[in-house]
Amino acid sequence: MSAPGLAEQIASDADEMEAPGRRDPFGTLRQRLIGSPLQSAVSFVGIAIVAVIVWHLLDWGVFNAVFFATEGPKSCEGATGACWAIIDARWRLIFFGLYPYELQWRSGLACIVLVAVGILSCVPRFWHASRLSALWLGGFATFYVLMRGGIFGLAPVSEEKWGGLSLTVFIFAAGVLVGMPMAIAGALLRRSRLPVIAGSFGLVIDCVRSLPLVTILFTAAVIVPFVLPEWLQGDKLYRVIFGFALFFSAYQAEIIRGGMQAIPPGQDEAARALGLGYWRRTFLITLPQAFRNALPPTISQFVITFKETSLVIIVGFFEIMASGNAAYGTGDWGFAYIEVYTFIALVYFVFVFSLSRYGAFLERTMRVGLH
Amino acid sequence: MRKQMMAGAAALLVGGLTAMPAAEAANGDTLKAVKERGTLLCTGHNGSYLGFAEVDDEGKWHGFDIDLCRAFAMAIFGTEYEDHLKIVPIGWAQRFPSLQSGDIDVIIKATGWTYNRDTDLGVQFSRPYLLAPARVMTRKDLGAESIADLEGGTICVPAGTTIERYVVEYAAAKDLDIEFLPIEKTEETDAAYLSGRCDGYGQWDVVLATVRLKADDPDAHVILPDVMNVEPIAMGMRSGDDNFVDIANWLLNAFWMAEVNGITADNVDEMKADPPNPGVAKLLGVTPGIGSQLGLEDDWAYNVIKAFGNFNDIWERNVGMDSPYKLDRGINSTYKDGGLFYPLVLD
Repeated sequence: MSAPGLAEQIASDADEMEAPGRRDPFGTLRQRLIGSPLQSAVSFVGIAIVAVIVWHLLDWGVFNAVFFATEGPKSCEGATGACWAIIDARWRLIFFGLYPYELQWRSGLACIVLVAVGILSCVPRFWHASRLSALWLGGFATFYVLMRGGIFGLAPVSEEKWGGLSLTVFIFAAGVLVGMPMAIAGALLRRSRLPVIAGSFGLVIDCVRSLPLVTILFTAAVIVPFVLPEWLQGDKLYRVIFGFALFFSAYQAEIIRGGMQAIPPGQDEAARALGLGYWRRTFLITLPQAFRNALPPTISQFVITFKETSLVIIVGFFEIMASGNAAYGTGDWGFAYIEVYTFIALVYFVFVFSLSRYGAFLERTMRVGLH
Repeated sequence: MRKQMMAGAAALLVGGLTAMPAAEAANGDTLKAVKERGTLLCTGHNGSYLGFAEVDDEGKWHGFDIDLCRAFAMAIFGTEYEDHLKIVPIGWAQRFPSLQSGDIDVIIKATGWTYNRDTDLGVQFSRPYLLAPARVMTRKDLGAESIADLEGGTICVPAGTTIERYVVEYAAAKDLDIEFLPIEKTEETDAAYLSGRCDGYGQWDVVLATVRLKADDPDAHVILPDVMNVEPIAMGMRSGDDNFVDIANWLLNAFWMAEVNGITADNVDEMKADPPNPGVAKLLGVTPGIGSQLGLEDDWAYNVIKAFGNFNDIWERNVGMDSPYKLDRGINSTYKDGGLFYPLVLD
């Protein structure tokens, strides 16, 4: 190999190693996609396949679709594409379930309040134990008053009529919020210096993790009434949320423990040498770093938990999957189940994608904080 | 797979529950509890079950079983029953434990009367109010006239249900070489049949009628005449409370009696003014006694007929000709129309 050739080779290697984004992105793209005849052919075939799929999707979902239910279920007669008319006709059922029709604004508002509280608590300005707890307590109180009614002149609506997106968001938010302190306690106790405590909490966590979520939910909903006296049972909804929180906390405890174990022991020792007590060491040194380390799996646990809320359907809750099932579950609309499921998938996507993007944002800001 | 695990877990739990002593209710307990509570707790569905429990655009329940729930509540609480009825959404696996734990007072949820439910699960059933015939639907272009003509083909069946057993047993008894494809989720089973993955679809004919409706051309499908089995559908209540079962039975009876006597919601007032026979006079509360022995008012039967019509009206409205399903009553008619149902004697 001649000297100029080698120099070129090194130069091009250096080019490739250069961080992406610093070069003209289209130049790189052009080079990668149509650099050689073979690459061009592969690119062409790939793009053609994607284009065909996208075309068919658009054809079905947009061009040939019926969007408005001007004539009820008959609107879609003869249409070859998607029948979005069912969403137009029955979106209130999907979003609010069995909640009384005239009062559905309350369910909608309650859902918005909860989502707003969720968004607000993502803003770093609120990251303060007192502010966060005030925010969430206020949020849940507002949600409960709006949904349950019975005071301030609001007509009472009992829990078995709650449903749709509001119920999904409520079960998720309440489950995570109750579960998170349990998870922190679980993680700390499992790392206790007293072997009995560490061992027994390890056992509890592993036991809960070894059970399927469905079993826990079924137990909470159906079996607890046989075991506990009536005054201790509470409504089925709250028992199920507790079951949910228990399951979430077992997994989250392990995630936090993983985050703690990544912290060099020197930190704790240094804090000890400075004379900090257990609680201050835990809350000022260990937990903030543990959460930072454990952020990616925590977000992914949130995402999993959000999607797992759909399991409450088997213990008879009308969350968004069930209300979607009811939406296409009539003789008139029975054909449009794909549209309903697609719509629900989009709703899930909005929530889950926002959660993931927020996680990515957090990771960036925290890394900035580290340096 | 996950679905199967879920079902497995649920089945395991229900199985575990059967080992517990079934809570026995004493005679009259349930009615007393319902009146004290001011609410009858009846079964809804977690989603919808076509024809039997559906939800309209405004989130209100409709359907065959829902009508019976409403009538039950009206019989107890009178015409202003709306605030005294809670329709509790409930999954299939949950029905019996929920009845035992008192989450519901009565199961009216397309529920078959079986030995195990009657004995081990501590459920006491009303008279059957429907017979669900298990049949097979197929495409007309296959030219099949009976299940035997489907030999060599594939029949889709809902996994883990009694239907699956009936179809398989029927084929085995007739020594037919048919492949069976059990599918867990209803929508998937429907899609498998409608897309041509299966040549036949084994289900109750009521359900088949709803599936046929989803086809591009409903007329291209035929429900084969072979009745592989019938499953009697009845209301379930806690064992030991004869009074509550009596109420359920006479509630159903009122609807059949109205039907065979030609009483409808429209003419019930005329009938009450001028009852054609002593039985109708007692049914509509002209001569007293139909309520007191059950712990109800004497006008309960009049009220429910006025509100819901007779049995045929309930059928036509929810699954028959006035519904999208257009199912004819067949063996579910009264004896007058060649069916298997009849009113009891009101003396």
